[in-house]
Parts: sequence; structure tokens; C-alpha cells
Amino acid sequence: MFAITPNTLSTFMNSISKYIVLLSLLLIGIAAFLIIFIENDYYQGISFKIMFIHVPAAWLSLAIFLAMGISSIIGLIFKSPTAFTIARSLSPIGLIMSIVVLVTGSIWGNLTWGAYWVWDARLTSMLILAFIYLGHILLLYSFEHFQKADFAASILAIIGMVNLPIVKFSVDWWTTLHQGSSVLRIGGPSMTNDYLITLLVSFLGIFMLTMYWFSNIFYIIIEKRKIMRSKLLND
Amino acid sequence: MHIIKLNKQIKKRFIFLLIIFICFSSSIFLISYSLKDQIAYFVEPTDLKGMNELENKYLRVGGLVKENSLKFIDGSWVFEVIDQNKNSISVVFSKTLPNLVEEKKGIIVEGKLINNTFIAEIVLAKHDENYMPQSAIDKLKEEGKWRGD
Repeated sequence: MFAITPNTLSTFMNSISKYIVLLSLLLIGIAAFLIIFIENDYYQGISFKIMFIHVPAAWLSLAIFLAMGISSIIGLIFKSPTAFTIARSLSPIGLIMSIVVLVTGSIWGNLTWGAYWVWDARLTSMLILAFIYLGHILLLYSFEHFQKADFAASILAIIGMVNLPIVKFSVDWWTTLHQGSSVLRIGGPSMTNDYLITLLVSFLGIFMLTMYWFSNIFYIIIEKRKIMRSKLLND
Repeated sequence: MHIIKLNKQIKKRFIFLLIIFICFSSSIFLISYSLKDQIAYFVEPTDLKGMNELENKYLRVGGLVKENSLKFIDGSWVFEVIDQNKNSISVVFSKTLPNLVEEKKGIIVEGKLINNTFIAEIVLAKHDENYMPQSAIDKLKEEGKWRGD
């Protein structure tokens, strides 16, 4: 990561991005097929099928923040522009994912619990995660020099990592209206295999889509910088 | 010579970040630990036994709807909320129940305890993390492994 320049990474991701997007569309297509044809839950009926968007988006919003935090640490310690640019291009995707989680969760909550929103630990910590993403993006664009912005935003990403275990384990540490974890939990998954496979296919599809999106944002940032640099040189 | 200098700087930055992270995480830990009763979304009927001055206090109580207790009497729903320790409270609710409220399923009631009866203003259904199609349940029932209702 220290030897790779942002340019080489951008070129490499650009060369494989079309295969990634094809793979993601294929996986999302399979997932959509599976979601339509699997049986409804015995208790919640059809409304539980929103889980196959809600849960992948939730995993990704946490995983993207983790990746952002780790690349911010690497960026700050080793002064690596590649790591900073990775963190910079991840945060808009994370924000969208956390908004997807909140919106699909509200719809699902209204259908099952009978309320769009409650202030329990899981929902509140997830809202805080979305606000940290928003703060990260705002910090990135509130400085004239992107190096300063990267420094400030990295500190926020590192501090914000404190929130990740709180989001993940809030349902175990405190009583919440939100149900506990179904897949990543002690004692194995608490759903039948057909649901689990559908969930994993859907997750992989959305994950590949975010990777494609990530490579595009990365590419745009690098190209913008090139244009800015050539403009400065010409003036 | 140059490499040694760089390593020193890297170490310095690492320690700087470590201190920031430890300070923030410990402060968040202390805040959430001292507020843990407020962060908890509901209490169980067992917890109510150890609490004083319950009358007219706005509470959220969660548990399961007791078997054969859900009834519609004089325009309002009457049921009992029971927890794992078999402690229960009786609840009166005069609005429409959420769709998923069923006997032996999770529920959270919000309101006040008046004369040992819980007058609920909001009722929320709490479903658990188990997802299963009806066919899987039928299969489990055939094998005699089903432990639900």
C-alpha cells in the first residue's frame, strides 16, 4: 500500500471494473430471483423480505467505516496518499449505505413493530454512524488544500471507529426493540439455509456494486487532481 | 540515517493516534456505562419488583404476551406481559394493536402503572431474530423438534 501510488491503483481498478459490475449485476439478478421465490416467514409474512436489502446494507455500512478507519490510520502514520484517497472515496458510499439501512429499517419497523422510529440503542447508534459519515464528507470539502482535509477527516474516521462495536453489540449490551443478530452470532445463524444463501448472494451482489462505485469515485478524484495540477502549471 | 529518522516519526504518529483513540473510546465507554439504565429501551416485569414509586411513572415494559391472556373487553385490549422468570403484569390498551401482536410473541408496552394495572399508551410488537418458512416448522413438528407454539 505504501509503494502503490494512487495513479497505479486507479488504472488497475479501472481495468477490472467492468468485470466487477457485470458480476455484481449477475449476483443481484440471482438474488432478486431468489427473494421473489423463497417462502415467506411464518410469523412476519412477506414483510421480512426487506431484510435482504437491509442486512447487506447494514453490514456494508459498518465494513466500509472499518475500511475507512484502517486506511485513515495507515494514511496518518505512513503519510500515504493512496490510503487517504481510499478513505476519501469510501465515505460517500458508506453514507448512502447507512441511509439505505435507516430507510429500509423504518419501512420494516412500521410493518412489524408498528412504529417507523424509536430511540433504542441500535437505531440511535446507526443514526450517529450516518452523521459521522456526513461529517467526514463535510470535513473533506471544507478545506482549500486536500492534504489538510485528509488529515482532519482521518482523525474523525479514527474517532468514529469507537461507534462500530456499539452499533454491532448494542442489541446484546442493552435491551432494544431491534432484534438480535441472526447471522454473525454465537451459536450459528438463526435462519434456515435458503434464507441464508439468499442473504449471502444479495450481500455479495451489493458488495460488488459498492466496489465498482468505489473504483469510479477513486478514478474521478484522481482525474480531477490531474486537471487541477495541469491548470496550476499552465497559469 | 534517513530510515532511522523516518521510523522515529512513524512511532511518534502511531503513539499520537493511539492516545486519541484510547481517550475517546474510554470516554464513550464511561458515558455509556453510567447511562446504561437510560440506554436500555425497556424493563422486564421482574425488574419492576425491585423498583420504588412505580405509580404514575412513565415506563416501557417488555416481554412476551402470556398464553390465553389476550382478550378484547369493553372496547379495549387486555393481556398479560410475562418474562423468562414467570413474573407478569396485566396491561390494558384501548387503541389498535400492531399486526404482529400474538400470544407467546414479544411485545413492548409504554405507559403508566396505576393500581397494579398497566395502562398502555403505545404498544409495539417485538419480533425475534429467528426467520423460518412455514414448511420448515411443519417438518420440525413432524420430527418433534419444534419448541415454539
